[in-house]
Amino acid sequence: MSRMTIDSLVSRAFRTLDRIASPAVAEAHCDIPCGIYDPHYAQIAALTVVRMNQLIDALELPADGGSKAEQAKYHNSLSRYVLAKEEHAEIVKREVRIIWGDYFKPEHTEKYADLHATVWSIMKLGGKNKQEANAQAAQDLLAAVQKFAEMFWDSKGAKTARVPSGQAVGGELVVPAA
Amino acid sequence: MATSRRYRSLFGALVLAGVAARLLRGGLPVGRYVVEGPSMEPAYRSGDRVLVNRIAYAHAAPAAGDVVVLRDPGRPSHHLLKRIARSPDGGDAASGRYYVLGDNAAQSRDSRQFGTVARRQIVGRAWRKY
Repeated sequence: MSRMTIDSLVSRAFRTLDRIASPAVAEAHCDIPCGIYDPHYAQIAALTVVRMNQLIDALELPADGGSKAEQAKYHNSLSRYVLAKEEHAEIVKREVRIIWGDYFKPEHTEKYADLHATVWSIMKLGGKNKQEANAQAAQDLLAAVQKFAEMFWDSKGAKTARVPSGQAVGGELVVPAA
Repeated sequence: MATSRRYRSLFGALVLAGVAARLLRGGLPVGRYVVEGPSMEPAYRSGDRVLVNRIAYAHAAPAAGDVVVLRDPGRPSHHLLKRIARSPDGGDAASGRYYVLGDNAAQSRDSRQFGTVARRQIVGRAWRKY
């Protein structure tokens, strides 16, 4: 019998054993960076999306087309608001994805039955907030991220409170309660 | 009828084998492990299955370069997969303490954080994937 055949037979034998009694886990984790998760960034980014929509809404078109300088000022501000909205919607998606993918464990999904649906809605709302300047979509994104933050802290055994953001944007932040 | 009886006894044998495998999991010379996490990439990836020789160090000392399963110094019920390295402070096998590192240094928790490990904390040497 060739060496390869023996190797594959050994593998198959142990794989079969694995099905009968699962193997032990040998951890090769990176606990230093991975041990710290916080949905705070995601909430700040969601609030920023809300704020950018407020600023876009408040930005006044130059009357009668305006001077070149006025037009430039308008377009410059609008571009910056749109860019910040775009970037922060992406930050929301990234931050939530990391916590969802790296922190949450299978047992959490049993306890938080709508975890996946909430994350999925955050991904979709993140996209919608990029595609549109839509104040309601931004509020929906913020609400979904707050819900996600509450599930996160609850899974860590921490009670949460909703506190005013204290920023010009208004809105609330979910924080672990003392 | 005979066939169903045969299947029943086969099933019984499998259950017994399962119970035996579970009982013997800690005691057999070969241990089965599944890797979890990225710290030993690219040699070992998350989900890889690896056979561990538990008697490798009965008569020989762990050597630099060996991939080993060891008990996590902070959490003894957890096992880690790391590689024996030369200690940066010059300590070596003579001291009976070993410096372990993940191959993927950027994403590893190892002796850089928890210091050297004693020989008795080392469960065995990674033998082969399966």
